[in-house]
Amino acid sequence: MKKLLAILLTAMMLLSFASAFAEEQITLQLWSIATESDSSHQAYVDAIAAFEADHPNIKIEHNATENEAYKTKIKAAMSSGEDLPDLFFTWGMGFLGEFVNAGRVVCLDEYYPTYAEELPQAMTTNVTYDGKMYGVPYTMSLVTLYANMDILAEVGFDHIPATYEEMMDCCDKLVAAGQIPFGVSGKELWCLSEYVEPLVIKSVGGENLKAMYNGEKSWNDEGVIAAIAAFQDMKAKGYFDPSADALGNDEVKNNFIAGKYAFYQNGSWNNADIGSKAQFAVQAGTFPVLNPDVTLYQMIGGPNNTLAVTETSEHKAEAIEAAYYLAKFFSDADYKSGANLPCWAADPNAEVSDLVKSAADMAAKAESMVLFGDNFLSADAANTYLDYIGLAWAGDITPEEYAAGLDADLH
Amino acid sequence: MNTTMKSNYPPVSDNGKPRKSIGQILSYIVLVLWAFISIFPVYWMLTFSLKTNEEIFGENVIGLPKYWVWENYTRAMNTGNMPLYFLNSVIVAVSTIVITLLASVMATYAITRLDWKGRKSMNKFFMLGLTIPIHASIVPLYTTLAKIKMLNSYFALIIPYSAFSLAMGILISIGFMGDIPYDLDEACFLDGCGVWGTFVRVIAPLMMPAVATVGIYTFLQCWNELMFANVFISKDSLKTLPVGVQALSGQYTTDWGPIGAALSIATIPTLLVYVFLSKQIQDSFIAGAVKG
Amino acid sequence: MRRPFSYKLNIFLFLLPALILFIGVLIAPIIMSGYYSLTEWNGLTTPQFIGLANYKELFTSKSINIMRALKNAMLLALLSTCIQLPFALWLALKLSKKPRGERVFLSVYFMPVLISTVVIGQLWIKIYNPDYGVLNLLLRSLGLESWTRVWLGDKSTALWAAFVPILWQYVGYHMLLMYAGIKGVPPELNEAAMIDGCTEGQVNWYIIIPYIRPILRVSVIFAVTGSLKSFDLIYVLTNGGPNHATEVPSTLMINLLFLRNRYGMGSTIAVMLIILCFVFAIIINAIFKEDKGR
Repeated sequence: MKKLLAILLTAMMLLSFASAFAEEQITLQLWSIATESDSSHQAYVDAIAAFEADHPNIKIEHNATENEAYKTKIKAAMSSGEDLPDLFFTWGMGFLGEFVNAGRVVCLDEYYPTYAEELPQAMTTNVTYDGKMYGVPYTMSLVTLYANMDILAEVGFDHIPATYEEMMDCCDKLVAAGQIPFGVSGKELWCLSEYVEPLVIKSVGGENLKAMYNGEKSWNDEGVIAAIAAFQDMKAKGYFDPSADALGNDEVKNNFIAGKYAFYQNGSWNNADIGSKAQFAVQAGTFPVLNPDVTLYQMIGGPNNTLAVTETSEHKAEAIEAAYYLAKFFSDADYKSGANLPCWAADPNAEVSDLVKSAADMAAKAESMVLFGDNFLSADAANTYLDYIGLAWAGDITPEEYAAGLDADLH
Repeated sequence: MNTTMKSNYPPVSDNGKPRKSIGQILSYIVLVLWAFISIFPVYWMLTFSLKTNEEIFGENVIGLPKYWVWENYTRAMNTGNMPLYFLNSVIVAVSTIVITLLASVMATYAITRLDWKGRKSMNKFFMLGLTIPIHASIVPLYTTLAKIKMLNSYFALIIPYSAFSLAMGILISIGFMGDIPYDLDEACFLDGCGVWGTFVRVIAPLMMPAVATVGIYTFLQCWNELMFANVFISKDSLKTLPVGVQALSGQYTTDWGPIGAALSIATIPTLLVYVFLSKQIQDSFIAGAVKG
Repeated sequence: MRRPFSYKLNIFLFLLPALILFIGVLIAPIIMSGYYSLTEWNGLTTPQFIGLANYKELFTSKSINIMRALKNAMLLALLSTCIQLPFALWLALKLSKKPRGERVFLSVYFMPVLISTVVIGQLWIKIYNPDYGVLNLLLRSLGLESWTRVWLGDKSTALWAAFVPILWQYVGYHMLLMYAGIKGVPPELNEAAMIDGCTEGQVNWYIIIPYIRPILRVSVIFAVTGSLKSFDLIYVLTNGGPNHATEVPSTLMINLLFLRNRYGMGSTIAVMLIILCFVFAIIINAIFKEDKGR
């Protein structure tokens, strides 16, 4: 009863405010990567329409730029501090971190309590710097092992191998049967990291990996060396597509959908695509552990897609409200479309595909979530890190050199 | 004229007929072959810009289009901002040419016609510009433009382009100004025109041939420039043709016809200029290299 | 002349626009680049002076791997001087003998130089397209299915595939310079040699080539420094990929600047490039001079 009254009163107050300032029109600028060809474009259009309907005095001008060009554009604007939008899309940790350090982003702590029930605190770790929250996350992604169950059945498996030994055995049988176990792009380094990082986290555990990214722990660690050795061993045994170096990620994904590989390990943002296009039985799982002391649900990924508000905005309060509103909307919309997993409390009755269900299930079981290395680290370190993964893939460095090199070169 | 005629006499072989050895025929074949290789990509672009994907991808790869799909051009003009990119390129090129010409003809006048001590060193100083790569200034220019809030403006391209065309402009202008007889400006000077009067009434009108050569050279430099245009301009409405075309090709990778049309639209002005002014264009490139 | 002060002022005023442009856009930025190359700077905060640390890191970091980029650039320079220039010289020599259609050949050969590198790059991307590109279609129609490649995507072919258009585009440029030089050879020299019974090859070798030495010097300098600075076509064709296989110093510089936010390190590469260009220009000049002395 009390709650209802509070809501009524707030609504009345807001209404009176709205009518009082009805003639004062505000326009908020929003920059994102949701171009027309992006899977979340529709969510942006719908969310903005809904927000504008609820806030008649606020208009949102949405300006979308293609992913790579966006990075350059937002960095340039942040560096000069001119022409910045009120609201912008960003990735968590390293990417947003550089802008936070430069004092360009508004701290959102004050407003968080209003939404705390719907947006669990655990979801805000990747946008929290020195204990302060600077962004509103909306969706998260997990590295997922997609399996073509039809191909696995050919070599006598009716489930995704649950132990490392079983996995190796399965791959050997696949190779013997003339099948390619894993599809990967050797050209796009981040795709390689989707294989390397699960191996590392399932060898050293999430807390240790986090500490390594943060520079609190040395990479020169038995577990890291074992993981890289396993990775190189898998390549040597022909588990990866031999033409990987010539393929881009889109081609690899399409190959998997066309039934060319037994497994494809990549982000959970593929759920919608793979789920709707694959003509075979497909299951989503996670790579088995390398080190028996580490538990299975140590996951790579986490809350990542984020909205943040700039310090230069002239309408900070409205921009912050819009950030929370839109983030909640995207979270819901992307979950329902299968595009990604929600950071906000999801609608339990929503009808979602099996792949999304198993991804959500893995997220719920996750004992530790560590963001993708290239998102976790700052831009420079991230590229250095990816280059090392490329070197390990090409066999140009030994696992020991990999571990020692990361220690030396990641600032 | 006579001497060149003489040198053109074909060498005479023993039996009195001009020699046409197998070697000569072979080399002529190579000349034709290389001409074909040089022109093929452009021919291919112009033809596939008028074809459907079916023709491009197999039915009719290198022939003339069976059906002339002019619609590719309307689509290229309507998708993206091709007309806008084109306009931006024109604005940038024309402004750059005007500034380069003005600055280089004025400087040339001071260096060659006015009598002062440091003129030779000043000339050498400007000629340094021929060897300095544009990379050298990209970071400072970028950060300075950001600081004065001039990134994403025509200015951000016009000024650097003018500066980088300047050395060549001066080099070419010096050659042309040397051909103007000194008597002319002396006469004007004695009439009491003064330095500026002489410059405006005598030198500037007689420098028109240089204007063409410098203008063409500068036009080609900035019409095609990619690195600065790519870095200094991120606003879609200010992009120049090379950057716009590059972005467009990235977005529409499967529909070749309209991309071909967009590439052709970016190329045709250059080709037109070349058809009418091929001698001047070639001269402007030679002028730069022979002395640089 | 009548009033020395105003005369000097006029000289200054005539030079002013050129000086402002030249110093503001070329000279001052070079000095600034030199300073930035000694700092750690991400473009957001203020630059931190770190001495020569960037230079040290540049040559030791496995991730930046400048040596690979330099090796690629040097390979391009080598191909350019050993294949492109001799071929351009051959074309120029043949054209100077006034074959039929001399002007047409000249204009056609020079045309690629004028076309925007973006257009050239996009065209070659299409020529190399694994499924529909002219190259693979040609190979297939010749029954050489096994020779087809993902030319620009495959690490083993990407570098060569990226170099071909660069070499192709500028043959005409060098040809034109050399052709202009050959036209400047006094006809009496040729005739005297012909009368003495020299063959065409001997005339070319003993008379024309030594005569156009200054132009050859310029061509070699352009070819080498141009290779060191090459950016446009590589950027359009591969942007340094796949997996950094086609990285050259300029693409590396742009990546460091705008992908990694390392403005200090980017400036270090810029400074290194300027120095290398000047050093090579001096070396090539010295080689051509020494030859003359002999």
